Amino acid sequence: MARAITPRRKAIMTVIAWTIGLLIFFPIFWTVLTSFKTEAEAVATPPRFLFFDWTLENYAAVQERSNYFRHFWNSVVISFGSTLIGLIIAIPAAWAMAFVPGKRTKDVLMWMLSTKMLPPVGVLVPLYLLFRNTGLLDTRSGLIIILTLINLPIIIWMLYTYFREIPGEILEAARMDGATLKSEILYVLTPMAVPGIASTLLLNVILSWNEAFWTLNLTAANAAPLTAFIASYSSPEGLFYAKLSAASTMAIAPILILGWFSQKQLVRGLTFGAVK
Amino acid sequence: MATKASKTAARLMISPAVILLLMWMIVPLAMTVYFSLLRYNLLMPGMESWAGLENYRYFFSDPAFTSALVNTLLLVGGVLLVSVTGGVLMALLLDQPFWGQGFVRLLVLAPFFVMPTVSALVWKNMFMNPVNGIFAWLFKTLGMQPVDFLTEAPLMSIIGIVSWQWLPFASLILLTAMQSLDSEQLEAAEMDGAPTLKRFWFIILPHLSRAITVVILIETIFLLSVFAEILVTTNGGPGTATTNLTFLVYVQSLLQFDVGLGSAGGVVAIILANIVAIFLMRMIGKNLDA
Repeated sequence: MARAITPRRKAIMTVIAWTIGLLIFFPIFWTVLTSFKTEAEAVATPPRFLFFDWTLENYAAVQERSNYFRHFWNSVVISFGSTLIGLIIAIPAAWAMAFVPGKRTKDVLMWMLSTKMLPPVGVLVPLYLLFRNTGLLDTRSGLIIILTLINLPIIIWMLYTYFREIPGEILEAARMDGATLKSEILYVLTPMAVPGIASTLLLNVILSWNEAFWTLNLTAANAAPLTAFIASYSSPEGLFYAKLSAASTMAIAPILILGWFSQKQLVRGLTFGAVK
Repeated sequence: MATKASKTAARLMISPAVILLLMWMIVPLAMTVYFSLLRYNLLMPGMESWAGLENYRYFFSDPAFTSALVNTLLLVGGVLLVSVTGGVLMALLLDQPFWGQGFVRLLVLAPFFVMPTVSALVWKNMFMNPVNGIFAWLFKTLGMQPVDFLTEAPLMSIIGIVSWQWLPFASLILLTAMQSLDSEQLEAAEMDGAPTLKRFWFIILPHLSRAITVVILIETIFLLSVFAEILVTTNGGPGTATTNLTFLVYVQSLLQFDVGLGSAGGVVAIILANIVAIFLMRMIGKNLDA
């Protein structure tokens, strides 16, 4: 028996859910809207909702103010770079733990996760000094190293979760059919592993894109990704709402879209399959 | 079957990750502990000297430490309270049949992908600003005095901003868990005449407990280290009203260049995180092994 859903009930639910959904989304909507206003209209009271002169000048101004594209490119290089290096280290490790589990595999996995419990601020001082002395301060490579290390446990766990779901019987069946090692890897394992690797890549790019503690503390002008670039708008002389909105929109749009596409994997990935 | 050869290969495949993480744990950690025992200020290079536990004494007797500790716990607790209860309510709501479910789900999820610096600045300037923020306008429209949130209720404001960022995550995880609930069980309870509240308390909530544990674990890890939101909104102030441990250590080490004192703070932060972690791991162990 399915519970009877009256159209009235459904209509009420629709109104409530949409209201709450729009309220939660409102700050993002407002930011995007403000980015198309002039500075005068951006601070107007009462706030202008739709009737204002739409302008694109803020987007041009953001680039003029401080080379937006360089910061954007820093974000891309740092988040993809650290994720890719993380994958290169993590894939063999997760693979081995998923398919050749030993007595201590569970312990190793738990230990790896526990490194995430290390608060960044606990190691800020030595890393800052190490970076300063090795010339890694305010470089993209420096940040890539840090983000690779802090995301490595998550990457390994995610991959492990996905790899575990590949049934070993399929591999054995392929072997029985006389598959060579090469064709085994190429035609049997890779197609089954690729979706998991892709989801892991996506989620880690999102996490690294938004990581703000290390990017704010270890970069200045040269290697600053968008998180740090946006923070420069917090200074009193940077209080231009429309320009801030344009910069914010450009900083969050790519990752928001990527995130929406990967929302299904998000649950599995971030909870390591513990919530289904 | 795992052979001896494959075991060796597996060890080789795992070792780079293990070695890197081990180094990541040990090297900076050992340095932090070492620095915390030195009198070491970057403004006076070459003047480092042994200080024993002096830094810890300073750190603990600093009134900023007590407020930072309290602020850290309030921030973590406050955001967890909002996002877990809010998340359960959102999950209950989004699980109902209504038109446009998929779209509303995307709207609710969106703040999770907004970088912390953006969300902090947007809330600070466009919402909480006492002159031309949306809230000020709302208050005036309702005939009330506008409130300068970040000065009058700074910590609450930051808890609000951070909650907005983390509520989506909790909602999504809890909704996913909710959808795996066997609806027949609910229907049976309904047939037996169990009132809504009882159904929620005895069937839905226990079913969600595992997901709630996961949400608490993951959010706590991130919330203990909230930094960007404080840096761009209040800079720890007014006074130390919004300084958490992370921010305090940042101020001592990177603004006052007191490496020794900052390191002592870092060690305290690590110890605190580990107390919380042990507590959480127990909870997780109870919930996940079952």
